[in-house]
Parts: sequence; C-alpha cells; structure tokens
Amino acid sequence: MIARVEHLTFSYPGVGSPALSDVSLELGAGEVIALLGPSGSGKSTLLRALAGLVPHFHGGSFAGRVTVAGLDTRRARPAELAGPVATVFQDPEDQIVMARVANEVAFGLENLGTAPAEIWPRVDEALAAVDALHLRDRLTFELSGGELQRVCLASALALRPELILLDEPTSQLDPDGAECFLAAAEGLGSAVVLSEQRIDRALSLATRVLFVENGRLLLDAPRDEAGDWLAAKRPRYAPGAAGSPPPPAAGDSRPVLDIAGVSYAYSPGVLVLDELDLEVRRGEVVVLEGPNGSGKTTLAKLIAGLLEPDSGRIERFGRVGLLLQDPGRYLVRESVLEETALAVGGDHARARAALARVRLDALVERHPRDLSSGERERLGLAAVAVAEPDLLILDEPTRGIDPDRKAEIAAWLDDYASAGRAVLVATHDRSFPAHRRVSLSGEALLVA
Amino acid sequence: MRLAPVPATLLFASAGVAGLLASHLVPLGVLALVLLLVCLRAPARRRRPYLYGALATGLGIFLFSPFLAVEGFDVLWQGGPTVPVLGQLGVTTEELRTAALNGLRLSTLALAFSAYALLVDHDRLVAAAGFAPRSAFAVALATRLVPSLERDAGGLSDAVRGRGVAVSGARGHAKLLSPLVAGSLERAVNLAEAMEARGFGRQTRTHAPGARWTPLDRLALAGGALLVVAGALWL
Repeated sequence: MIARVEHLTFSYPGVGSPALSDVSLELGAGEVIALLGPSGSGKSTLLRALAGLVPHFHGGSFAGRVTVAGLDTRRARPAELAGPVATVFQDPEDQIVMARVANEVAFGLENLGTAPAEIWPRVDEALAAVDALHLRDRLTFELSGGELQRVCLASALALRPELILLDEPTSQLDPDGAECFLAAAEGLGSAVVLSEQRIDRALSLATRVLFVENGRLLLDAPRDEAGDWLAAKRPRYAPGAAGSPPPPAAGDSRPVLDIAGVSYAYSPGVLVLDELDLEVRRGEVVVLEGPNGSGKTTLAKLIAGLLEPDSGRIERFGRVGLLLQDPGRYLVRESVLEETALAVGGDHARARAALARVRLDALVERHPRDLSSGERERLGLAAVAVAEPDLLILDEPTRGIDPDRKAEIAAWLDDYASAGRAVLVATHDRSFPAHRRVSLSGEALLVA
Repeated sequence: MRLAPVPATLLFASAGVAGLLASHLVPLGVLALVLLLVCLRAPARRRRPYLYGALATGLGIFLFSPFLAVEGFDVLWQGGPTVPVLGQLGVTTEELRTAALNGLRLSTLALAFSAYALLVDHDRLVAAAGFAPRSAFAVALATRLVPSLERDAGGLSDAVRGRGVAVSGARGHAKLLSPLVAGSLERAVNLAEAMEARGFGRQTRTHAPGARWTPLDRLALAGGALLVVAGALWL
C-alpha cells in the first residue's frame, strides 16, 4: 500500500465548513484512480493532503491521519514527501520554476539530492516518456499550455514517484492533447490519482473511482461498479453522458457579426487566420472549435476589436463583449459589485441584477480575489454580460468546470441568445451544446 | 557550438565595458555591429524589444545631445531659440562626433546586455554561481517571472477592454497596476506551493553538472579580457 487516509477532516483557516469530512481510503501500488466531483467539493484538498501541502502549506484545522510511503504527513513536510509523491497542478504557468525545459525537469531531481551524474539521463528519459524530448532546450515561457503541461508531467516522472497526483492536468489542453497526456499518465507504472473533469477519458483509464461532494467521500468503488452508481446517483458524471442540445435558434435571422476574408499574423509569414469568413445571427449560440493554436482566441480578439485584421472586413451590428480565458485571474476592482459595475459606468442597480443572474448577489461586498475559482468564473461572466452586449464571446468558459456547472452555463447562454442577442463560444469542448458549430482547423473554417 | 553560461556572460560583460571605454567611432561601430549580429541569433519575437530599446536609446542620445552640449568651434548650424542655461541652440562638428560616440557607447552596452539576456542560460549561470544560492535562485526566479508579468499585464488590459471599457493613457494603465501586483502575489503563492511539493528547501540539494568548458569557452574568456584592455588602450 502506498497511502492511507484515516478519518481525515480538514478546514482551511477562517472557513467554518470543512473542506474534507471524515474521509478514509487506501491507495495501492499501480492503481489508477479517477477522483470525480463538483468544483469546490474537496478534490484538490484531498490531493494536497496526500502531498502533505495540507496542512503544512495552507494551515487550517486537521484531524485524522494521512500516511504516504510510510511517512505521517503531520510530521513530514511536503518537501520530505517529494520523491515518493509527485504532484502536477492545474495551471502549468503557476508551477514552472526555471527558464529552460531541461533545467525545469532537473529542478526536482536537484532538490532531492540526486547524484549529479544521474540527473541529465533521467531528465531525457522523463521528457522522452511524454514525447517532449524535442522541447529539451526550449525556453519555458515560449511554450504553449499543452507543451508546458507535458513538461510538468515529465518533471513529476523524473522523480520516479510511487504516487502521482494529477489535479485537473488537462484543463488547458484540446481533446487530442488531453488524450496524449492521459495516455502518457496511464503508462507510468506508479499509482495515479487523477482529478479530472473530462469524465469519459478519466473513467476509461481508471481501475477505481472516487466521488467527492461537499467534502465527503460518497463513492469508492471499482470502475464498473462506479459506472452503475454514477448513472443512478449522478447521471451527468456517468460514462457517455452528454449535454442536451438547446432548442432550435429563435427565428430572428438578422446578423450580429459578418466577417469576410479576414487574415491575421502575429509576425510576418506566420499566418494565424487566413481569408476567414463567418456570420453570426441573433438568437444563435455558435461554438467555435479547434485545437490549441488554431486561432480561436485570436479570432475572438479580432471580433471584439482588441486586434485589427491584416486584411478583410469585420462588421459588427451592435456591441460586442468578450470574456477571456481564465477570467478569475483578471479582476481589477476591490469589490464584487464594483467589478461588475465597471462596464456600466458604475451603475450598481444593473450590476446587482447581473450578479443575481449568476447567483453572486449575496457576495457583492466581498473582494473578488477572496472568491473561490468557480465564483470568480461566474463573476467574470457577470462583469461582461452586465452591459448586455449584442454579441457575447466567451473564450473557453468550460475550462475546469464540472458537468453540472457546464450545463448551467449552457442554459444561461441559451437564454441570453434567445433574448435577441447572440453568443459565440470558443472551446475545445466538443460536447458543449450549441445551435451551430464551426471548426477552426489550421487556417480553414469548417461549418457544420 | 554554444558557449557555457559563465564564459558567455563574461564575454558579453567585457564587450559592454570595452564599449564604454572605447573612444574611436569605427572600432566602436564594429563592436556594436558584432553584438547586433549575435543578438540576431535569438528568435525574432524575443529580440525585438531588446533591439528596439538598445538602438532607440543610442539614437536618442545622438539626436538630442548636440543641442544640449556646448563644445567646439566648427559650427554647422546656429540660430535656434535661446534656452535658459543652454543659451542659443546650435550644432558643431565636435558636438556631433561626441553625440555619435556616446550614442554608440550606450547602444553597445545595451546590445551586450541584450545578448546576455537573450542567449545565456540563466538557470545554469545561477547554478554555477556557487555562493548565496538562495539569493541567486531568487534572482533567476524573478527573471523568469518577467514574461509572466508581461503576459498578465496584457491580459488585464484585454479583459477590461473586452468589457467595452477603454484603457488609455498613463492613468488608465496605472489603474491596472494594483490588480497586476495582486495577481503576481497570487501566482507567487501558487509557485511556492508547487516548489515545496517538488522538494525545494531540502538540505541535500545537488546540481546537475554543467557542460565541460571547451577550448572555445577558454578562448571567450581570453577574448573578453583582451577586449577590455583594447577598449582602454586602443579602441
């Protein structure tokens, strides 16, 4: 056995309700465990408890016992657990330490006191295992999110851990990238605990499934048994569950956006968009799909007027609002109310109404950075939608979002569009419900 | 063939010092040109701001300092407005030469720094420092966070503009400073957590071996020393 959690109850400092309540489980060697549950249910806290970061890094009230690789986490600091345990966090940007890829992968090995002669061979071996050896001498800040995430996995692998903790590691990757990442994780030979919102893929890899909700472990069962439980008790998490498509778009056919022959390049000769045409009509929810680097964000910025096309024409028939990826990072005011009121010239009444629509009206006086990540995402949506733009563009709004919340956002956007406005969603998520899907693949725009 | 970080840093530092010490236009111009060519080895997107900064500062000195200096008798132009302290504006051949020399010196120094920033492996340089490892590490980390900060600043501005709110002028951008700092602190906390989870802080830290110095590295060291001497005596 690699790890044992006994009656763990934990609360973060200053928070009344526990993040984990009386959780007990055991992890065996070589097991691949899918850790499922809604956002904020305690999945990340459980992973942090296994890594020793809870309670050492976060503080708080800790009861019960966690033993990993024979070490009691109440006494062993996270740095002492590193080696037998390796963690890959959600956002690669926040865990990269060094400027070059090889040095980044070597960082953990150096910390553990690995013999110098062993370090570079193990770096190369780990990079090769995740098919990233070609990135060895690249600068980390020049890599894409997907490449960075592979480097993070290689950094974990290089330690040859007995237990790998993966906290939503594929949230920034397109489906193919996520597939490659998870396939690499599958073949590690270590025990893996994978917290993931790509439910189908996680379930297909797992030998065992845990389901956490409100800090309680509701399910701990082998995969097949877990499938039946999920289908009965939490159908949105069941294998093969898909969001229901929205009703057909309202009959308003007036265009809100007309793009003709638009091209754009960030630097000469490196064309991101080439001769692109697209029309969006009122009443529509349109999904813009495409792999990482296909130009979805660039197109969103062009439509919102944040970039100017090199050639072609963009006609907007009304106001456009854009919600960028990871909106929780880009909050600029001192309270939730002021943040929302920014786009409407400080009109608090409109801001309160917009906050009520995303169920944040009870938190108007809170500082935006004191909110949970899910609440921040909703605040970002309210802060853009408050001005009721005729075309609302959302860039990856379902990143790291649980299935319940995704369904809620989809319903909200459908309502928004049916009021005579339009919504354009740039996303990797092939299951996001929409009236129409367009695929931005390389330089081509395929309409389905 | 690549230079090891220490000889490369010393060579670029020597080139910068030689540039400051040099007093002849032609050799100084050649030194600046060589450094420019070295900088061109970096990817275009990364090198652009460095080269723009290096060349713009030198050009600025060349264009404006003749009007501020009072030197020489070979008058090329006179008759500008009279400015308090400076007197009537004018330009002499000697002022132009001095301005060109100072502009080139500044550009050479900036290009030497650019070459260091763009091409040297800072991680390995810090590892090779061998003293005050935590402080050196903090410096390396701060260097790595600069591009993140740059990206966050752009993201903040885009996020606000995406809501239909204009961000313009110094005041508009200054309002984004506080959230930028708050975001950086948040990022720093996350990074600290990730570092601890990767064993940072253990007493048993080792270092990955650096590449052995090649004859080229030794040549670079000797060349650096020669450059400084040449800059002081002949250039």
